[in-house]
Amino acid sequence: MTPEEIIASGNLELYVCGALSPEEATEVEQAIAAHPEVKREVELIEESLILLAETVAPPVSAMVWTYILDSIRNVRDDGNGKVRKLNWPAITGWAAAILFLGGIMWMLKQTNDLNDALQVTTTQNTILKEEKSTVESKLAENDKTLEILRSRDYRTYTLPGNQAVAPEAFAKVYLHNKENVAYIDVSGLPTPPRGKVYQVWSLKMEPLTPTSVGLIDPVNKTAENLYRFVDFPMPEAIGITLEPEGGSDTPTLSQLYTLGMITL
Amino acid sequence: MEQPNNLIIAMQNGDEKAFSNLYTMYSEAVYGIIYSIVLDENTAEELLQDVFVKVWNNATSYSVKKGRFFTWLLNIARNAAIDETRSKAFKNRRKNLNITNFVDILTSSDSLNRATNAIGLKKFVEALKPACIKIIDLLYFKGFTQAEASKTLDLPIGTIKTRNRTCINELREMVLG
Repeated sequence: MTPEEIIASGNLELYVCGALSPEEATEVEQAIAAHPEVKREVELIEESLILLAETVAPPVSAMVWTYILDSIRNVRDDGNGKVRKLNWPAITGWAAAILFLGGIMWMLKQTNDLNDALQVTTTQNTILKEEKSTVESKLAENDKTLEILRSRDYRTYTLPGNQAVAPEAFAKVYLHNKENVAYIDVSGLPTPPRGKVYQVWSLKMEPLTPTSVGLIDPVNKTAENLYRFVDFPMPEAIGITLEPEGGSDTPTLSQLYTLGMITL
Repeated sequence: MEQPNNLIIAMQNGDEKAFSNLYTMYSEAVYGIIYSIVLDENTAEELLQDVFVKVWNNATSYSVKKGRFFTWLLNIARNAAIDETRSKAFKNRRKNLNITNFVDILTSSDSLNRATNAIGLKKFVEALKPACIKIIDLLYFKGFTQAEASKTLDLPIGTIKTRNRTCINELREMVLG
């Protein structure tokens, strides 16, 4: 097509309106590049259409351009990442939050430590209380023992050790002759071997009659090494032998540890 | 008017000043196109902003070797405005149904912009023949294809093309002298 034909075709108007197919648009572009008069024609069509659109537009607010500029600058900053401003309010906020959290953690730790210490102290208190009650009961026991020893109703006898079996041994007997109660202190006797037990005998002399009074046994224990016997027959002598566990009917004289006369 | 290719290339290279100049040159026409479609100043202003932000962000998708810069702008603006008219919010908002084309806008509007006042274009544009108003409205303002315009106006495609040329020629004689 000649330039005149292209101008007369109506394609240039459609081209500016954007209503041409891509193939026709390419043809128009080639003609524009080749013929200055075609280019000039397109420019005039465009100018009149621009003026037409402008007559229809209401006045444009200056805010529109400000907004566009703001938008593209934000996009730029995000894209480049070069101009990165420090966001102080955010930084301060985060710092405060971290400090606050740290403070809470510290206080929690303090509370835990205090709780632990309190628990240790409570345990120690319990131990001390137990020790105290043990000491008190022991003290009461000793007071009771002392009371017996001091009482004038009790008479004290020392049973010396049998020279043949245990020369060093001895036992003490505290006897209340009216109530027939006796306390026997065996701290002077050696600890009995396993499976053996001391047995206390009351003896009548003529004829020699041994009667078992009882065993040195936890049942009779009243204090450390002190054993209580009731219904104690008033003897002429008291002997202590070592017998098999459970005691014997008659004393094993070869194992007689102490023997002493009782003078009422 | 010769196309300012230097400014366009500078904008494509990130020159804000060039972009500002191009905005000054084209924004009013772009605004007119958008307004003729959405017929609401607030909506049209928002769309004008969106369109130019889009132009900046996608500047490199235009080539000075292919097509007119104004036609490229025209497509972006018409698409944005037509998308808006399809939104539900827009349909609920739209009130003025008497206005159907660009001449109706001129006739009904009291506040005219700088260009319209200075050159006194209003009376020229209003003097366009009704047939011309219809065809220019569809092909230029509304972005119809030739086939769509042919169907809407019930005219053969060949007639659409020649009538469009005749009408724009008339417009040229009136506004450019």
